Amino acid sequence: MRAYRALLRKDLLLELRGRELVPAMVVFVVGALVLVRLGLGGERLAGGTRAATGLLWVVVVFTSMLALVRSFAQEREHGIWDGLLSAPADRSAIWAARASATFLFLGVTQAVALPLFWLFFLQDGRSPSLAVLAAALALADLGVAMLGALLAGLVSNVRAREVLLPVLFLPFALPLVSVAVRMTVDSIPPQNGGLGALHGLGFLALYDTIFALLGWALFEYVVED
Amino acid sequence: MNGSHRARPDRATAAATAAALLMALALAMIFFYVPTDVSEGYSQRIFYFHVPIALTTYFLFTWGAVNGARFLLKRDMSLDLKSYVPMHLGVIFGSLTLVTGSIWANIAWGTWWFWGDTQLTTFLIIFLFNCAYFMLRFSIEPGERRATFSAVYAVLGVGLIPLSVIGVHVAQTNDLIHPITFNENGANMDGSMFLTFLVALAAMISLSVTMYLIELRGKRIDDRLRAIRRLAGGEA
Amino acid sequence: MSSPESAPAVRCDGLTRRYGERVALDAVSLTVARGERLLLTGGNGAGKTTLLRVLATVLRPHAGEVAIDGHVLPRDARKVRPAIGYVGHEPLVYPALTARENLELYAALYGVGRERIDQVLDLAGLNGRGADPAGELSRGLRQRLGLARAMLHSPSLLLLDEPTTGLDEDGRERLRGVLAAHRGAAVIATHEPDWFAGLEHGRLRLAAGRAA
Repeated sequence: MRAYRALLRKDLLLELRGRELVPAMVVFVVGALVLVRLGLGGERLAGGTRAATGLLWVVVVFTSMLALVRSFAQEREHGIWDGLLSAPADRSAIWAARASATFLFLGVTQAVALPLFWLFFLQDGRSPSLAVLAAALALADLGVAMLGALLAGLVSNVRAREVLLPVLFLPFALPLVSVAVRMTVDSIPPQNGGLGALHGLGFLALYDTIFALLGWALFEYVVED
Repeated sequence: MNGSHRARPDRATAAATAAALLMALALAMIFFYVPTDVSEGYSQRIFYFHVPIALTTYFLFTWGAVNGARFLLKRDMSLDLKSYVPMHLGVIFGSLTLVTGSIWANIAWGTWWFWGDTQLTTFLIIFLFNCAYFMLRFSIEPGERRATFSAVYAVLGVGLIPLSVIGVHVAQTNDLIHPITFNENGANMDGSMFLTFLVALAAMISLSVTMYLIELRGKRIDDRLRAIRRLAGGEA
Repeated sequence: MSSPESAPAVRCDGLTRRYGERVALDAVSLTVARGERLLLTGGNGAGKTTLLRVLATVLRPHAGEVAIDGHVLPRDARKVRPAIGYVGHEPLVYPALTARENLELYAALYGVGRERIDQVLDLAGLNGRGADPAGELSRGLRQRLGLARAMLHSPSLLLLDEPTTGLDEDGRERLRGVLAAHRGAAVIATHEPDWFAGLEHGRLRLAAGRAA
């Protein structure tokens, strides 16, 4: 536990001092939203709010890739893995700390992206329930962070990791995004008895639980050489 | 490793024989025994290929994941091979699933693909996972590290299967389009259809087991050849 | 099987480690008794770093047996880690964190009290530099910080990979002091074995992964 706190503190301090990840993620998200907005010209997004919601989730996934690819970059570039791995602390604490830090970074990025998203795409008066969207984002971010930290550790020492990480992650993102989009879209009034938010949240919680367990158990194998 | 030399060729031969017999029986039943489906006509028979092949693909991935987990626990390199081969066969059977599914979709619905269909989407997700597994494997040099990382990813895939099935179902609850094969009351088919289905499933699984044993043997020979070449060439 | 009390500090029997198809360590055998210091010599790529990394439980042996204090690796790696102090080629510190923050992280990882941090900073002659980011320290001072990091938990086995690199006279004197005062065993890879005169108990030369 002390190790986890120290590692998390280290990750947050490094980001605060280095300012590498979060600004890049925010710029990316803003840029992506602006690009789509401009790409549509003055047109409304065909499909309106529903399509826009889908788009938001796609952008969220790609932004998280950006964060994850740079995970463990410091450890790799300065050979610090040997220091962490020769220490008696549980290796899964490294995973847990990275997952937690990534979760926080994603949250910060989305806090910036959401108002922009609303401004660009949801001006036709109807929008998804903010509570549902926030809950879905929180749970999805957690799942992405946990699985992502595991995969990031895996590709850390593999060449072509920038390409490989999104490829490895993508199949796991698909069920997540499907449910999240459906859940968010169905929360747009008038709600027509579509997917209850609870079903969607239940699935996301299941997803998170499974990858919490797998991440915890498998990280040791991923970093051990 | 040298003890069971005689046992192995026998297993592959036995499996091949069983597979050949079952396939012959299945083909006979599919084309001559089972009655024509009332709603979909003669071409519905492709169901007896498509669904068993799909189920065999899921079976292969699970098998690959189980051996992957065993490798992580035991660090026995032969388990790496035994995990890789089912995943490899999964690509083959998976592609066949998509192809037969597409043909069936075209015959039954007039389109080559339908996104609203949960089982198609689920399968596509698993298939993409399988392709990603190979990209991972090709990115790493042969050795213990490749075996470890492949095993970890294969195990993750087993988590993906139920999540994919549940998730896609939750996201797209209009799976009435995909013909419901099994519902709460058991098989939604009459006796002869169910029997034919079972025989076809058994045939596909024994075919996959045969291919597994043959490919495993081939890869082992490959490994030994490589080791011999290395010794003969002398240490670099 | 010898009991842990009488087991040598380090024992390798036919230790083999590969990188892909290349053999980095080829059936290396050695024994280091308690309190002994062994020097590892050999050219670049001979396998010294690989051997130290295996002993540090960072790399797993592919064949052969490795035991530290009677505990067999990799099975008992967790038991062994609290007793090992490893200084690698790199100082293993985060450049963006201060010296003190780096030590605080490792103190947490080793379950060591924070008062040790001041002690090791003093030991390495880094008092007053604690608040400097590790990346702004000179190579020699970073090397000293690496040594301080390894001493935080008062390890019984020291594994040092070319520890004299980059050290100035003061740094070297401190290293000599640490080694002389250290009661446990040590395995030291070095390109200047003669500098360790008076401190060494034995040497092992590696060439192409084999004990020469």
